Amino acid sequence: MATTKHDHEHAHHGHAHDEDDGEVHAHVGTYKTYITVFFALLFFTALTVGISYVHLGRANLAVAVIIASIKAALVCVMFMHLKDDKRFNSLILVAAITFIGVFFALTVNDTSYRTKLDTQSGARTDLRGGNDAPGSWENPVPVEPAPAEHH
Amino acid sequence: MSASTDSHDHPKWLQHHFDTPEQQFDAAKLGMWIFLAQELLFFSGLFVAYAVFRNWYPEAFAAGSHELNRPMGAANTTVLLFSSLTAALAVRSSQLGKKDETSGWIGATILCACIFLVVKYFEYHAKFEHGLLPGSFYGTPRDMLSFQKLEGHHSVASELPPHTHVFFSLYFVMTGVHAIHIIVGIGIWLWILKRNLRGDFSTRYFTPVDTTALYWHLVDLVWIYLFPMMYLIDYVPPGHKG
Repeated sequence: MATTKHDHEHAHHGHAHDEDDGEVHAHVGTYKTYITVFFALLFFTALTVGISYVHLGRANLAVAVIIASIKAALVCVMFMHLKDDKRFNSLILVAAITFIGVFFALTVNDTSYRTKLDTQSGARTDLRGGNDAPGSWENPVPVEPAPAEHH
Repeated sequence: MSASTDSHDHPKWLQHHFDTPEQQFDAAKLGMWIFLAQELLFFSGLFVAYAVFRNWYPEAFAAGSHELNRPMGAANTTVLLFSSLTAALAVRSSQLGKKDETSGWIGATILCACIFLVVKYFEYHAKFEHGLLPGSFYGTPRDMLSFQKLEGHHSVASELPPHTHVFFSLYFVMTGVHAIHIIVGIGIWLWILKRNLRGDFSTRYFTPVDTTALYWHLVDLVWIYLFPMMYLIDYVPPGHKG
């Protein structure tokens, strides 16, 4: 890439673009880029507000999260300079998102299907709290009230 | 040690354990990104709680969401996005060694942060007055300043579906923790502004401005998700399977 002409602005103009001189060679974005990103973010904000008035039922959350993720990606890549940064920093972000995905998937998988476990295993499971764990009796013996003390 | 710190090869701002400005810059950014990853994992606990409870109580979440002030939420979103722009421009001018411009953009960022908090205050105040409070406080209208019960005030809470207090618990915890991040961010920006005015930064050393902006963008990122998830829930009629 040595023949590529230097059409990017770089900080630290006073020195030649020798990448091994130990100086910081951070990419300097243009005003135009940053302002364009800002207006794109405004556009997606308006879009998510507008779409919230359309009755999408359960897809409402999915659509909101997808639009928010597009906005988040714009902020990470452009405003937070991941585009021009050391790739390892992007890897840290991706690793965090991956583990959030694992956390989310395992937890929601548990809490969403507690009653379905009920029908399959014959276990009696409380929908909200899961008070009786899967594996409890289908027809539990009713608890007899403690006999009144005989005098 | 002090004899060599002012030499050309080792300027004052370059810590003695780093060989070059580039090495120090990369290490600082790496450290900041690891901290931001921790922040995301920290917030993810709240977002997972949100997912679980919204899954369980969709009507309550829709009803609670409709009690929030959409125009105020949208305005605050715009303010925060704009503050991310000014933060990015502060880094840009700092990279180019334009000290006064940097101060201006940092000042604009701090101003946006303050506007955000003022709007948030009015939103919280309205919720407190209507008894839309977290957990066991839910249903009791209160004055936000004195936290006295407001006798005779109508509680909107009584007309909402069961479990709506869960929505407001999450609303206050999530937006509250976010607001704490805004307040911390204002403090850090003020410190960076002071250092910029003092002349600490140059084209060779602008790392603190860069890393502070990274933190600020993260606060913006969290709000990007909070806004639609709190304010923009569509109403699902009971029994209607979308």
